[in-house]
Formats: sequence, C-alpha cells, structure tokens
Amino acid sequence: MVETGIPKLDDYLNGGIPKGKSLVYYSQPGVEGEIFGLQTVYGTLNNGGTCVFVVSSTMPQIIKDQFKDFGWGINTLKDRLFFVDSYNPLIGAPSDEKYVISKPDNIECFNKTIIDIIKELPPSTIVFGSLSTIMDLCGEKETIEAVRNWNKLAMLHDHVLVYNFTAWPYSEQTLDLIKGNLFNSVITIGGIAERVIFGQYFGILKSDWAEISSKSMLFRVLRPGGIRIFIPKILVTGPFDAGKSTFVHALSTRAISVDRLGTTIAMDHGHIDYKGFSADIFGTPGQERFDPIIKLLSGESMGVFLVVDSTNPSDFVRAKHMLDITKSYGLPYVIVANKQDLPGALKPEEVREQFHLPDDVPVVPVVAKDKKGVYEAFEILIERITGGI
Amino acid sequence: MSDYTTGIKELDAVIGGIRKGSNIMLIGPPMSGKEIILNHILYHGAILNENAIITVTTREPAKHIIDWFHDNNLELPMERIGIVDCVSKTLGGNASETPNIKIASSPVDLTGIGVKISQFLEEFYMKKNNQNIQLHINSLSTILMYSNIQTVFRFLHVFTGRIKAAGALGIYVIESGMHDEQAIATLKQLFDGMIEIKSENDKNYIRIIGISSKPTPWFEYEIIGNKLQILRGN
Repeated sequence: MVETGIPKLDDYLNGGIPKGKSLVYYSQPGVEGEIFGLQTVYGTLNNGGTCVFVVSSTMPQIIKDQFKDFGWGINTLKDRLFFVDSYNPLIGAPSDEKYVISKPDNIECFNKTIIDIIKELPPSTIVFGSLSTIMDLCGEKETIEAVRNWNKLAMLHDHVLVYNFTAWPYSEQTLDLIKGNLFNSVITIGGIAERVIFGQYFGILKSDWAEISSKSMLFRVLRPGGIRIFIPKILVTGPFDAGKSTFVHALSTRAISVDRLGTTIAMDHGHIDYKGFSADIFGTPGQERFDPIIKLLSGESMGVFLVVDSTNPSDFVRAKHMLDITKSYGLPYVIVANKQDLPGALKPEEVREQFHLPDDVPVVPVVAKDKKGVYEAFEILIERITGGI
Repeated sequence: MSDYTTGIKELDAVIGGIRKGSNIMLIGPPMSGKEIILNHILYHGAILNENAIITVTTREPAKHIIDWFHDNNLELPMERIGIVDCVSKTLGGNASETPNIKIASSPVDLTGIGVKISQFLEEFYMKKNNQNIQLHINSLSTILMYSNIQTVFRFLHVFTGRIKAAGALGIYVIESGMHDEQAIATLKQLFDGMIEIKSENDKNYIRIIGISSKPTPWFEYEIIGNKLQILRGN
C-alpha cells in the first residue's frame, strides 16, 4: 500500500493505493490539482518508497524547488527519486536527468522509457506530473492507449501509477474514459465557483478497492505545508462566562478577542491548523443583547461548539436557547462541558441529561484554561462536519 | 457609459466602450508598439476606471513590466495589479512570488498559468470586491510556440468562458504574420472583437472590429517615447 500523503484521502482509500493500482487526480482547470501528484511523491519517499516523477510541463529543477517551497526536504531522499524529463527536449535544452524523452511529441518515446522503468525498477510509485500535456503533444487516442498499457504492466510489476490530469475541454469520449474505466481510482479536484472560483475541494469519484463516500473535502494549499483540509468557519457559542474566549484561544494557533473589561462584546477570532485540518474559529459574545451576532455568524459556519460551564446548570436554559438559534440553521454541533476541574462540575452524562440531548450528540469534558479536551472536541466536530470520513 | 474603455479616446468615441464579458484579440505585426498599446490600456483601466488588471506575461519578467511604468513616471495602483510571470522560472532566476506577482513554471504549463489566473480573479473579485477586471495575455504567440493550436484553443475556451462569467474584459495579444491563417481563424471563434494593427509605408494604423456595428476607421498612430499618439483617422 502506498500512501497518497493527502490528509484524509488515505483514510477515504482504506489506507492508500494498493500495489499494482492506478489513480488519476482529475482536476478542473484553474484549481490547484498538480500539487496532489507532488504531495504523493513526497508521501511515497517519506515512507521509504521509490518514486519516479515524469515531468512534462516544466524543468525537473523547478519541481525540486517546489518541494522546497512546500517545506519538504528531499535532499536525503533523492537517491530514491528519479525524474523522467520530457520538458527540456521540448524546448531544445539539454537534460541532466537519468531518463530523458528525446521526442516529447512521440508517444513511442514515452512508451519505451516508461516500459523500461516499469520492468527494471523495484515496485515504485510512478507519478505523471501532467498527463494532459503528454496528451496535448502526442494525441488523445495515442496517449490513452499507452496509458492503458502502462497500467496493465504496472499491475504485473506491482508499481503504483499516479497521474495528474487537467480536464481541459477534450473530446467527451476521452474525458469519459479517464473518469471511467482507464484507472482503478479517480479523485476529482474541483472549484466552488460563483462567478469566479473561490474554494477548492476534492472527492473520490471512483475506487475499485475502497467504498466511495460522496463527501467532498474543502482544501487549501499552504506554502510551506501542502494540502490542508479547510473548514471555513466554526462557531463557538454559549452563555456568559462559560469560557468561550478561553476555549477559542486554547484551540487556536493564533487568536484575537474584541472585549471590554474581560468580556467579549463583539467576537473572538482564531485560526487552527491541526492534523491536516485548517479552520477559522469565531466566538460569539454570551449576553442576550448580542444574539443577532450569533445568527449572523452561524449562517456562514459549518459547525458549532456550544461551551457550557459544567458547574452552573442554571445557565443551561440560556445555553439551550443559544443552541436553538444555531441549530435552526441545521449545523452539526458538539457540547463542550467546560470547567471540569472545578468542584461541583457535572459529568458529561449529567450535562446530557440536563439538556435532554439525543445520545448521538457528543458532550466532551474540557478544561479550556489548561487546553484539556479542546483538541478532542475539535476532532469530534470535524468528524461530524465531514460525516465521519 | 459602457463597462470598459481602451483609453484611446478616438477609438472609444467610435465604439462607445466595450461590454462586460468581452474577449478581444489584439493582433499586429512585430515592432508595431503592441506592448505600449497594451500598457496604455492597462494604465488607463487601472487609474481612470479603477479596473483590476491581471497580466499574463510570457515575453518578459514581471519585474520589467513594473519597472517600465516606474521608469516612465507612471504610478501603478499596485493593489489592483496582478502579474502572472511565465518567464522568470525558465530563465533560471531566483524569482519569488509577491502579492502582485505569481510565478508560473513555463509557457507550456497552461495548467499552472490557469491556476494563477484563477487565484488573481478570486482575490480581486471576492476579496477586494472589485468586479471590473481585465485579463491581458501577452502573448498567445509565445504560448503557441510551445503548444499546438488545439491545446491553446482548449485553454482559451476555458478562460474566455471564465471572463464572460466574471463580467471581465480579456485582451489577448498575438503577432500577425507568425501563424498560419487557419490558426488565427480557429482562435477568432473565441473572441468577440479584435484590436487590429497594421503597418504600411512605415506608418502604423489601428482599428477595432466587432465591438461596434461596423469596424472603426483606421487611425494612424505613433509611439512617441512611452506614449501612444493618434495622428488621424482615414
């Protein structure tokens, strides 16, 4: 099994890509799809595997620089990374790489080199930086035939083949084949577009070894860092003095509060970057006169933390009301039973009883001031937002 | 008042402006001053109309473009300028990205160029709330040196569509006399109009086709220093 190195994708794929299988990252033009192949190269190397990167639209040196931009040191790994250079010959420049495609517009040249690699190298991950560029230069039909053959041979020799493909408006037949039966797995990478693309997501369209979920994950590309699952906004609400600001600050890698005399009067804002998930956290004030703000904020949120003071059940009515406001927007939520360190704090089960909550709503014991339980609460909420994938 | 103007007042007066979502080819022979004409449109759009401008450069590094304006005492509103530099990486320089400059790895890397254009579109349209955006590609001729016509057509098919969807203005520079007629005819299908330049007897002329009901007259022009000067119409 080869891990893709993409957060959550390996979980979606039951651990990664099995030996002998092929996978295509099928990207809509204008979204950052090419980094998926790059991150898979790094993931393979990092786990001790051997990798071949077929470079078609830029110089191998630029790819090496991109690894640096992402903060992925490959210097110690480079004896297990080989480049197939089909770019320098295209622009008439010399190449220092071990494998060179002397005629990048001739599929037979690709065939010869790729088949040699498949037969000679030990089981490796072979990543094509841009299948669309090969197709542009060598022709759609010719390239598809070659890919079919490579995938078959790779299966016999236990290689994993990974392709980046940009779905330019090729013939429908070509696109159907690529999304259809040419590869064992198809990962679609798309953009959320209104009039311009303002968000990016990926999801599994097809996989013949893992059960497909229809869930898509939003992502951002960080330099350094690579692909990060992205949850645009998470709301933290709850009654006055429940510890919302403390919770936002405990969870966030950076946070700021708008407050007066220690009480939040507008909002807390934080950002978290944890286990491949990236999220903006918005904390609301607790006092009733600020309720319109909760409505405003929760409308654009993807999930809610309801923070309660476990020692103060008299405030639970107020908390329930605040929950009603956010629940009316149908958001997934988690109850944060804060101040568990104080005497008289109700246990999570007691909090659940007081709230008359259904069993499937998580109540997480937390001591926000000591950062205890905050990340557990975050993981649980993310799981609920993404449908437990 | 129309959505976009070229800033060449004699031409604007005839065409009355350019509709949102238009894609225009700027075609002319080498050394006829196309770059200065494009810079004129850029500067006019950015300063007077407060348009955000995305320029894809395949001919010279982004820094040269910014320096050109600076050297000519033309202050660019940088918060509205985005340059996709497809040259610097291939020259082996240490070019790095800035808020105004995004680096694509080569003119072959249409996928990468597309990503950078989309990022600037998002930045201007969504984050800076500026819905009047111009995309300049200078030039398609360089891109056509590396990729075949079908490939470039597919790329343009996607991005002329995005320009339409965003209500922006796209201007695509192409050298006349460098490509076969069929290639030009193929690309023309994607455009709503054309800024056409011709050179005759050491004189340069410009006109716009397809934007108004009939072509504008040919206007003779001269490039004096950094300035485009229209001499007369015929």
